[in-house]
Amino acid sequence: MAWRALRRVGPVLAPRCPRLPRLPLPPREPAARRLGTSSLLLAARKFTDKHEWISVENGIGTVGISNFAQEALGDVVYCSLPEVGTKLSKHDEFGALESVKAASELYSPLSGEVTEINAALADNPGLVNKSCYKDGWLIKMTVANPAELDELMTEDAYEKYIKSIED
Amino acid sequence: MSRRTVRVLRLGAVPYAEALRVQERCVAAARAARGPAALPGPAAGRGGAEALPAESVVLSEPAQPVYTWGLRGAPGAAAAAALRARGAALVAARRGGHITFHGPGQLLAFPVLDLRRRRLPLRAYVAGLEALVLRLCRRLGLGAARALPPPFTGVWMGDSKLCAIGVHCGNHITSHGLALNCCTDLSWFEHIVPCGLEGKGVTSLSHELGQHIAVSHVLEPFLDSFQEVFDCTLVSSEDPGD
Repeated sequence: MAWRALRRVGPVLAPRCPRLPRLPLPPREPAARRLGTSSLLLAARKFTDKHEWISVENGIGTVGISNFAQEALGDVVYCSLPEVGTKLSKHDEFGALESVKAASELYSPLSGEVTEINAALADNPGLVNKSCYKDGWLIKMTVANPAELDELMTEDAYEKYIKSIED
Repeated sequence: MSRRTVRVLRLGAVPYAEALRVQERCVAAARAARGPAALPGPAAGRGGAEALPAESVVLSEPAQPVYTWGLRGAPGAAAAAALRARGAALVAARRGGHITFHGPGQLLAFPVLDLRRRRLPLRAYVAGLEALVLRLCRRLGLGAARALPPPFTGVWMGDSKLCAIGVHCGNHITSHGLALNCCTDLSWFEHIVPCGLEGKGVTSLSHELGQHIAVSHVLEPFLDSFQEVFDCTLVSSEDPGD
């Protein structure tokens, strides 16, 4: 369909194609379900109960830990991350973050294959604390089973979840 | 709120590998205690989440010398060969902290606690371990013992480390823990840079108090301090509960 072809341009713009405003989306939740399995264009950030987040764009998920998690850990001094190409199933341990003499496991939010790891963390692991939703991302991965996204919490649901475990 | 019960498994003098095996079973029990929904497979039929305490602490005295390291600090091939030549085993452990030594004369404590159930952030848990050892030191007459901020997490007498800490946390369940030198032969530490910290020393309770302090001597005050810091009642058990 024509609109899908235009949306797929994404951040890589062909010179002849001006950047178009994002089309308004019908008000149904969650974003990933609405778009169906054929297009994981830009889904809103989703969260796991283990405090990881994943944000999918053009079929690639970026994974990190939430602000709640980075505060609980303390200063991250080392990130142990998987190799590119590692195949993960949802819930698989994929690495660990070290802080205050503690190694905390990381669990894959979805099934997929690791396409990239954040090289900046080798020299600057503190990015996980300072910028957990942006520069402190951990890995990128393919999304083998988009339906798994539906099982994760929206940001609102995650905020409620945090409140429930904090009291 | 009634005080929760924590199982204490006193293994005595056993190999480090044996303590790890018991710990694994305790971790499995803690996971299972979260309820049938938390685990797929055969354990799913297990009911009665509160029937047995979900949490444990495994206490042991490593029977043979062993060097262990965490996510970082693995010795290179030549260093590893040199350490083995001295008669020590080498074991990688999935925990925080660098390389350290475990052996006779040391109290090894592995608390397997559910931090989600306790609503306890990980860094507060580690601070709790330090607080527990500081209370123990005060009970033994070592009021000058100090915890230091990262990267010097652990309990120190001056520039010498008395107790090393290195924990693991998976799905909010802790494992590994602390190693307190009671009457450890400190010369084993001379062959490594303990915890990767250059220029720091190691010490023991015996060295600081000027008398022989056996691991058995500190068990009761350790458990008293544990109950205070982690607000629980300790119940002796031989059953990891898995």
